[in-house]
Parts: sequence; structure tokens; C-alpha cells
Amino acid sequence: MIALKQIRKSFGKQEVLKGIDLAVEKGEVVAILGPSGSGKTTLLRCINYLERPGSGHIRIGDAAVDCGHPSKKDIHRLRGRSAMVFQQYHLFRHKTALQNVMEGLVVVQNVPKEEARRRSAELLEKVGLGAKLDAYPSQLSGGQQQRVGIARALALNPDVILFDEPTSALDPELVGEVLSVIRKIAREGITMIIVTHEMAFAQEVASRIVFMDDGAVIEEGEPAEFFRSPREERTKQFLKRMTPEGVYNI
Amino acid sequence: MGASVDVSYVFEYFVRLLPSVGITLEIVALSLLIGSAVGMLVALPRLYRIPVLQRLSQVYVSFFRGTPLLIQLFLIYYGLPELLKLVHADVSRTPVLVFVVAAYALHSGAFISEAIRAAVGAVDRGQVEAGYAIGMTGFQAFRRIVLPQAIAVAMPVFGNLVIANLKDTSLAFSLGIMELTGKAQTLPTMSQRFFESYLALALLYFILSFILQKGLYRLERRLLRHEPADGSASSPAKGRRARRREAAARLNLTEEGALR
Repeated sequence: MIALKQIRKSFGKQEVLKGIDLAVEKGEVVAILGPSGSGKTTLLRCINYLERPGSGHIRIGDAAVDCGHPSKKDIHRLRGRSAMVFQQYHLFRHKTALQNVMEGLVVVQNVPKEEARRRSAELLEKVGLGAKLDAYPSQLSGGQQQRVGIARALALNPDVILFDEPTSALDPELVGEVLSVIRKIAREGITMIIVTHEMAFAQEVASRIVFMDDGAVIEEGEPAEFFRSPREERTKQFLKRMTPEGVYNI
Repeated sequence: MGASVDVSYVFEYFVRLLPSVGITLEIVALSLLIGSAVGMLVALPRLYRIPVLQRLSQVYVSFFRGTPLLIQLFLIYYGLPELLKLVHADVSRTPVLVFVVAAYALHSGAFISEAIRAAVGAVDRGQVEAGYAIGMTGFQAFRRIVLPQAIAVAMPVFGNLVIANLKDTSLAFSLGIMELTGKAQTLPTMSQRFFESYLALALLYFILSFILQKGLYRLERRLLRHEPADGSASSPAKGRRARRREAAARLNLTEEGALR
């Protein structure tokens, strides 16, 4: 359902994506892992064109963009098929939780206000914020803000939700509440691509792991297989660094 | 002038000045209304870095910020008709007030455009991306996300402008407009009680500013109701700086992709 072909992207002289191919089926939960600077966030941002790839093809459902000649209309359609959850939440600060979730429905999808309000309230209920409908982002904790962010993405009923390190900016004690919401919606069969540093979570929730390093996909596989017996040398090194022994053995 | 200050004259002149409050407020309101539209138009080329227009708006802003308002009034009053003659428009019958409002509008427009520019820059870019990500067009993101927050951020600066503008209208009498100051100068011609008249005038300006300040402060609080009501509200400059710092910190935190 989602197909990326030969995505290339450079910042100045530095090539950060060196021809990425990736296909994601409906209902899959793909976790993208890799050291920082490997290009995984850039790749995710290319999928909904927050970052402009230099060349390649992107397709989500029936929306396709030729990155060599992108048209505004194609980009708009592509964004209409996807939704994103940001590392820094990026909630609209002048709007309440409910208004944040409603915004896309009302302004972009032209859903009548009453219906949008009802659906948005349901979604906030689902992420455990039924009591915070009228709270502004400044009145919510990081974990709560991120859950509003997830509800905002869900509201659009997209073909795929892109998660950009959804728990990296959170205090450790707030990570759990956000992960459990993501776990819950993963079980409902919503297609997701998650860039994360939470190894245990990726292993548990993902149906496939994609490991990136230095702007290229190094290895892909089933989570159990990937963590138990990685094939590539770079993957082994990365996993070794990320395991607790590697972290605490100073 | 008598030996001492006669308070009864102050009262009398205060009351007799009241009818002229209307014209003063009219100049303030019209010039800010037109000035806001001008300021918005002038800020856009600089926000979107449109080559030639950007340069023009810079020249306009530095001219109106860099020359005295009184001179601008004269330049527009005497210069504009000459300019308009070139396109065969006769403005000799146009009321002086039109020129005065034009001058004040262009003057505040320059300051308003600067305020808008700074305020738009202070709205964090991530929210615009979030707008794009939910499928908004650039215009929708600007109108629904950036503009409301920018207006709230610019509100303290705008409030100062309103007060400054009110006081600056006192220069309009130099073109013969009978607003507050003009009136205050003509009232005591018989009695020669000029000091009492100016005292009443100062009192009136002060009361008007005070009411405007209160009203603007309320509006500011209302527009910023989404931000926590802590100490930063009483010194808005600090709040803005803190917000900008926060935005900068966010930029540093995001991965390579966020910086372009």
C-alpha cells in the first residue's frame, strides 16, 4: 500500500538518504531503528513531504508523487493519506485538546462541526483524555500532549500514521502511557511506521524491523529474528551498544 | 495670566474639551485600522522573501521609522497633492483630515509591519509542519495556526502603538485640525489661562490612555488565555523572549531534518 522507490535526499553536499526502497503493506507496523544521524527521521519526513526528497517515487494508496517533478496537488493528496505524530508533539498551542483534534476534520475534510466534535471527543476518550477536552496544551503534561497528538492523527482516518520518535522528548515516567496508547491502536490494525529508540517496544509492537545506517537500509526482518540473530555486522554492533550491558558497562 | 492656578478654569476647559475627544479618537481608530492593513501587506514580502518587494518594504519601514512624524505630516500634506497631480487627480477640495489620517496610517503601518514580522517569527515552525501534516494548505496553516498566535504575541507591542498614536495625534493641530490639542490652544484666547487649558488637556490625554491601556491589557490576556497565567503576563516582553528561547531549544533538539 505504501511504496518508496529510490528516495534520495541531500543537505548541501551531504547525502543523507542514498536511494531508499521500502514497501509497507496494509496493517503492518514497521519500526525503523538506527543510530542518530542515520537518516531515519529524514526518511519518515520525506514520506509526507515535510522534507523534499531530491529524487525518487512515493506512493501511499492511490496518491503518488514523482519527487523529480512534484506538483502541489500531488503533495497535498499524499499528505491527505498520511498523518504524523511528532517528537515535540507540535500541538496547536492556541487551541484546546478537542480543537486540536477537530481542526483537520473541520478545515481539511469539511466534516460538519458537530460530528467532528463528537468523533474527536471519542478519540480523546480512547487515548485516556476524556476529562481534558477543554485543556490547552500548556496545561497538559508531555505524555498527555503526545496522546492528543496521536488522537489528532487518528482523527483523519489516514492510510498510515507516521511516528517520529514519539517518546524521545518525554520524561521517563511518562513514556509508558504513550507507548500503551500506540500499542492499543497497533492492535486495531492501523498501518504505522515508527521511528524509535525504544528497542523493547519495537520488538513487541512491530511486525517488521527496518534497520538504517548512514542513509541506507542495512537490514530488514521479523522482530524476533532481527533481535536474536542479526545478519549484518553493523546491526550487531548497534544492538550491542543498545543492550543494557553496553550502556552501563563504562 | 493670573497670579495663581485657577482650578475652576481647569474644570471648565476639561468639560469644553470633551467634544473634541471624538475627532482625536477618530484619527486614532482610522489610522490604526488602515495602518494594520498596510502593516500586514508590507510585512508579507519580507516574511516570504519576495525579491524586489522585500527591498521596497524595507525602505518604507526605515523611512517612516527614521523621520519625525511632524515632518511626515507636512510631507504628505504638501507632497501627496503634487504626486496626485501627475495622475490628474485633483485633491484640493479633499478635507485635511484625510491627509492627516493617511500620514498617521503610513506611520503606524511601518511599526505594525515590524511587530507582525517579529511575531510571526516567534510562532514555532513545528506547528506549521503539523498543519501541513494534517493536510492544510500553506494559506490555511498561516490563517488558522500562525496568524492567531502571532496577533497574540504582537498584542503588547500593538498596545504601545495605540497609546503612542493617541499622543501623537496632538501634532495634527499643526495642519489646522481641531482635535484636542488644537482646541486646547484656542480655548483660552479670551481668558489667557493657557496653563489651566494645557493642564486640562494633559489630564484628558492621561485618562484616555489609562482607559485604553486597561482595555488593551484585557484583550491581551484574552488572546493569550492558552498560555499559563504566570508572572510573564505582567511583563509581556519577557514572555515573548521565553517563548522564542523555547522555540529555539526545540529547533536544536530535533534531528538534522528540522533545520533548513
